[in-house]
Amino acid sequence: MTMARDLVSSKKFFVIVLLVPIILLVAILVYYPAIDTFGTSLTNENLRIRRPPEFIGLENYTNLLGSNEFWQVLGRSLLLVAVILPLETGVAFAIALLLNEKFPGRGIIRTLVIIPWMVPPVVNGFLWGWLLNGEYGALNGLLYQFGLIGEYQYWLRDPTAQVFWVAVVHTWTRFSFPMIILLAGLQGIPDDLYDAAKVDGAGTFSRLRRITVPMLLPSLAVALVIEFIAAFQIFDVIWTLTAGGSAGGAINPFTKTLMIYNYELIFRDLRIGLGAALSYLILLMSLGVGIVFITRLYNEGIKSR
Amino acid sequence: MTTTMSPAVSYSAPPPPKRDWRKIGRLAFLYLCSAIVLFWSLAPIYWVVVSSISTRTELYARPYKVWFPSQPTLDHYVELFTSGAQFRDGGYSPTAGLMGSGLRNSLLTSTISAALITVLSSGAGFIFARIKFRGKGFVFYFVMLLMPLPIWVSLISLFFLFSQIGLIDTIQGQVLLFVTFLMPLSVWLMSTFVRDIPSEIEDAALVDGANQWQILFRIIMPLARPGMVAVFLVSFVSTWNNFLIPLIFTRTSNAQPLTVVLTLFIGQYEVSWESMASAAVLTMLPPFLMALFFQRYLVRGLSMGSVK
Repeated sequence: MTMARDLVSSKKFFVIVLLVPIILLVAILVYYPAIDTFGTSLTNENLRIRRPPEFIGLENYTNLLGSNEFWQVLGRSLLLVAVILPLETGVAFAIALLLNEKFPGRGIIRTLVIIPWMVPPVVNGFLWGWLLNGEYGALNGLLYQFGLIGEYQYWLRDPTAQVFWVAVVHTWTRFSFPMIILLAGLQGIPDDLYDAAKVDGAGTFSRLRRITVPMLLPSLAVALVIEFIAAFQIFDVIWTLTAGGSAGGAINPFTKTLMIYNYELIFRDLRIGLGAALSYLILLMSLGVGIVFITRLYNEGIKSR
Repeated sequence: MTTTMSPAVSYSAPPPPKRDWRKIGRLAFLYLCSAIVLFWSLAPIYWVVVSSISTRTELYARPYKVWFPSQPTLDHYVELFTSGAQFRDGGYSPTAGLMGSGLRNSLLTSTISAALITVLSSGAGFIFARIKFRGKGFVFYFVMLLMPLPIWVSLISLFFLFSQIGLIDTIQGQVLLFVTFLMPLSVWLMSTFVRDIPSEIEDAALVDGANQWQILFRIIMPLARPGMVAVFLVSFVSTWNNFLIPLIFTRTSNAQPLTVVLTLFIGQYEVSWESMASAAVLTMLPPFLMALFFQRYLVRGLSMGSVK
């Protein structure tokens, strides 16, 4: 009896009972399948063709790297990142500057501004698809009412416009996160720095450039890396805004990003081996770029101080 | 990069105002900026809500839109659960029964996942914050490493694994996935919350002969309640909003959540916008309300989790 009680109340038992389920879940549902996917990426598994998959080494990888479509899709993903990051950072920075000021009602505005972030990204895609609708969209209505357009426009018709709007909607969905990080960073900058700069005769813009931006770089770096990964792996918004492909239809090639392409390879074309290889390429690129990005920005932030 | 944006406001409070109009001018400017910011973030949501309660005539009015419905109606919401979304050519979308089941599935999956995550991560967070044991560093990294990892790599093979053991298209299967994928974030959050609790009370309890279970349940959990609330909310919203996992792992009304049901409203040839608007409102309502009432918890949880 006492031995059992001692066992139950021992530290070892406590740690094992609480941690083992978590370790098992992670091992079985993350690491094992990740390794298994890597194995699949070395085979020519294709569920459309009735044959047992064969080991083909790195052929899937070389095929992908040698195919035009891969580079096109990668280029499009990087283009989206290149549009989204400055746009999102700009919006987030401007709003953070505003909310860093003290004025009555600031708290309510801070609460309301964060709401788009909580809305499911899938819903955001729909919402904006409806706003931008060429026949009945609210954007058309608004612009027409103010005489800014003579007739209703099909905002999502042009392939370039599609990419642009995807970037806008993604920005709308996610700007709150870098905004919060930047706001926290702003509030951490001591007032004496600004006072000292003012005494030295620095104007508003010069204070912004010499103090605020360098002081914010470390928190900005963190936000940028996370936003890089989110933009690089964009899926939900595109799926409902421009991907098409409903009811088994073809997927719109003009906004096909890495993740959409990967989904198509595996769940539409059933080319499992090739899709698995692509997923590993995405993994490598996300990790690699993320690390380079953060080290560089951190170095700059430290140097300029 | 950011300096291309003109600064929206000046930095520190202006020097003590010599005249009142300067103060008023500053406030007016700040409120003008606030109005623009609020328009940007809320106008799209306003429009989808208006669309969901407008009559068809007003909804499809052009070129002048009706910004405030003159006869607000809840018909589209009722239609969602009864006949299914009505297309303008008279047909119906095949979504009639799916709304109710979608709501049920979303609620079940999110609540169960969030509850399990909260319980599991409280224990683990306490252990990582307080208890020394061999292999602690390894276990910590083993769990945390998947935070920056794109889960897609695991999902591909999990799909075939789940097909073999019959977990496709089930609530249980999804709960397993969400609990696992949200675990590192939650464990991290909980351990930071526990770390902030002063350890004197536990030390006193240990001297009095309490064991770890009693300390966890009687001391840590009550004190770390704000942390547990944050973890619960973050997990609930992340699960509710997720699309990729149910898109891959569900097939029918048995398990399809609202985010997936919503995509079925886009038929191949026609979209019933008024039904979609009301379905979208229902889908965003829970996270919306949570953002409104529990913003502090959510923001702390979401930003801390993503930063580390």
